[in-house]
Amino acid sequence: MKYRCPVCMFPSLPYPPSNYHICPCCSTEFGNDDADFSHDQLRGMWIDNGAHWFFGNAPEHWNPWMQLLNAGLGTYVPKLFFALRLQTNASVAHPGTGNFAHDFEANRIENIPIAVAA
Amino acid sequence: MLKLYVCVACEKVIIDQDGVASLIGLFNKLTLTPQKNQEIPRNAVAPKEWAVFSAWDTEPGDELKEYLFCLQILYPDKSQFAEIFKNKMKVELNKRSQVKTMIPGFPVGQPGFYTVRNWIEESNKMVAGPIEFKMEVEILKQEPSQN
Repeated sequence: MKYRCPVCMFPSLPYPPSNYHICPCCSTEFGNDDADFSHDQLRGMWIDNGAHWFFGNAPEHWNPWMQLLNAGLGTYVPKLFFALRLQTNASVAHPGTGNFAHDFEANRIENIPIAVAA
Repeated sequence: MLKLYVCVACEKVIIDQDGVASLIGLFNKLTLTPQKNQEIPRNAVAPKEWAVFSAWDTEPGDELKEYLFCLQILYPDKSQFAEIFKNKMKVELNKRSQVKTMIPGFPVGQPGFYTVRNWIEESNKMVAGPIEFKMEVEILKQEPSQN
């Protein structure tokens, strides 16, 4: 059974986050550190210190920001960017759509019922 | 054996109750403007959710197998970003199989062309793919203020 750290959201704690167990990711000692600070505050401190892996080697391809995002905590991911734009490097062809749109529009307008005031 | 029908990256996928998929915002490039004097760390992630939608034609017998859709993202230098995303596929007789893989962020630690590699596994063996496409990340320079 795996447990999730309530501070950094590391999903593979081998023990429950209690009884002085220590998270290998963010170093929180449960029952000690979280007696003085809330989990939110501890998360903020971990992030402010660079969100580094604490004990031994991090799991392969580990990324602290994806860990938070996967747990739905995107608001904690640093906003490094002022603007983000999705684009496509593509040219666009619309063969025939001009005529189709014209015909479609004309037919549609003819079928609209018109109410006439008495 | 599953046969690829479509595999594409987009901003959002809506699948209605009849299984009809609508793909919103097909994109292949992210342009980012950093905050002033902001260094972009190697492990930076833009908290922008996106998705890879793929659909596969099936043949009788496929519904008896357990297929996993796998998605791997490679940085421009070909190192791997995060873990491989794996999704169990739902395969039914005489139906096309559709998979929506939501990814909660996009890696932006290196400018250039990222590779999105997709394949299907059965019993830990690749049985379809890989299908690869490129996604470009461009990081613009913040212009100094005129004031």
